[in-house]
Amino acid sequence: MSTATMNRPAARVSGKGVSFARALHSEWIKFTTLRSTWILLATTIAVSIGIGVLGAWGMGSGIEQLRADGQDPASVGLDPSMIHMMATGGLDFGQLIIGALGVLLIASEYSTGMIRSTMTAVPRRIPALAAKAVVVAVVAAIVGVVSSFATYFASQPVLSQYGLEYGLDVENLVQSILLSGVYLALVALMGLALGSLLRNSAGGIVTLVALLLVLPIVASMLQFDWVKDGVEPFLPSNAGRQLVALQIPEDALTQLQGGLVMAAWAAVLLAAAAVTTKTRDV
Amino acid sequence: MIEARGLVKMYGKKPAVQGISFTVQPGKVTGFLGPNGAGKSTTMRMIMGLDRPTGGDVTVNGRHYAGHRAPLREVGALLDAKAVHSSRSAYNHLRAMAATHGISKTRVHDVIELTGLGAVAKKRVGGFSLGMGQRLGIAAALLGDPQTVILDEPVNGLDPEGVLWVRNLVRALAAEGRTVFLSSHLMSEMAQTADHLLVIGRGRIIADASMQDFLARSGQLRTRVRTDQPEVLGRALAAEGVTIETRDAALLEIAGVDARTIARTALDHQVLVYELTPLQASLEEVYMALTKDEVEYHSQNFGNTDSRDNTDTPAGPQEVLAGAGAASREGK
Repeated sequence: MSTATMNRPAARVSGKGVSFARALHSEWIKFTTLRSTWILLATTIAVSIGIGVLGAWGMGSGIEQLRADGQDPASVGLDPSMIHMMATGGLDFGQLIIGALGVLLIASEYSTGMIRSTMTAVPRRIPALAAKAVVVAVVAAIVGVVSSFATYFASQPVLSQYGLEYGLDVENLVQSILLSGVYLALVALMGLALGSLLRNSAGGIVTLVALLLVLPIVASMLQFDWVKDGVEPFLPSNAGRQLVALQIPEDALTQLQGGLVMAAWAAVLLAAAAVTTKTRDV
Repeated sequence: MIEARGLVKMYGKKPAVQGISFTVQPGKVTGFLGPNGAGKSTTMRMIMGLDRPTGGDVTVNGRHYAGHRAPLREVGALLDAKAVHSSRSAYNHLRAMAATHGISKTRVHDVIELTGLGAVAKKRVGGFSLGMGQRLGIAAALLGDPQTVILDEPVNGLDPEGVLWVRNLVRALAAEGRTVFLSSHLMSEMAQTADHLLVIGRGRIIADASMQDFLARSGQLRTRVRTDQPEVLGRALAAEGVTIETRDAALLEIAGVDARTIARTALDHQVLVYELTPLQASLEEVYMALTKDEVEYHSQNFGNTDSRDNTDTPAGPQEVLAGAGAASREGK
């Protein structure tokens, strides 16, 4: 029939090849044209804020109760610094959703067959994976920062009822809020790498949850010195938590060290993902 | 142009493609035939760089697919219709594919119109019928206006109008000088579409010939003759290489001598002939006989396939084709 349209000059322009910027544009289109993306992002923000505000309210009312009973809240560990931590308190849950988003971003391409279109359009493959990594890391970082700031602002009216409101000038607070974006970006990258290694949504999400939540719990139950000193602090979520910590104890990893350890986890997983992506049949 | 040299693909220890070499020429439609599991899709996937060859090499327009700066502009492929995220719309799928090469939205709209997807372009691909998915796959293949087009079972699930459209499309693409490589199980469709045939069986090329040669080698010289005096005509025609089968009292099928000679002989002997029809074996007959032989051959000789693996490939097609012709005649 109308095969004449095949020869439109517009499509004949030469010298237009694949570049990283174009791969990035393509991944951005793919990312934004799935409803699940928006649902997961909105859920992450909503849950993070919800958890943070709920935590602030719980602590506020707890402190009020203790004061009414004539006790010092600090004696049971409830001091203001804990309340300040709640600005990033939603991260524990937010990380799971963002991590799942990272897994789904690539695993859903394997499950639907889309990966073959992706690898046909970008046959060198690594630029496509790298573009996905950039997209999901940047979005996760923005979501982390937005959630934490929003949690902070949403918490203040609640806390003011107990006279516990605080300003952004609390030591390390702004830095912590900004670094919560880095934390979520690293979680998203770990998710992307696992999704790409396992090529399976459920498997990727379960493995990520095991790494972020189950391993720290198991490690905390093992009462060996070498676990306490040599393993526990280096688990990804434990190390990553130092990024958003307001106060760092003497013997713990610093913010930078914790961040680097978590980044190393993401980097190793991504490197493995890159190797398998490059070599496997799709 | 697609060139494969000694292409091998093993899945574990199981060979899917066993050292095949072939060239798909521009300017014509090359049909790729073979039973299920013969290695067609694997071969196409290796051309597109989706599967890594275990051995050998395949290039498109002189380079590996992944070696092209703008691969979608060189090669367009429909390998399986649902290589699409089911939750994304057809339009967004094509837009994302186009973005990797800086292909304009105008072109995206063009291929949507070209493939008749206009009405459903904004709908989720997950809800597409097989035929619609197929059209989307063809749209994606044409996106980069490629010089080489590879279509694996493109008419699968298409309605008759769609089948005709694909036939006209691939004919037009070839007429423009493009390389068209097409697989299909629909023999009648292939017979009308392809200029050249590549037949694969058990991971080997068992025929590589133009459509004409392919059909000719398998009993084109049969002629159906209706006459009042079959015995007289039969005796007059009897010669070395001529076989005459009697279908009924007045109907003969004669092989090994052309229709004109039959008519001449009948005239010389004053025999009345009232039908003289050259019979050409259909593509389906030739193909069935050819691939049946291939499969039977391997089953019978299962024990010593290894020794043949290393030596046989060049001599294969002729041998098998000759056998196929005989089988096709016997089968009648």
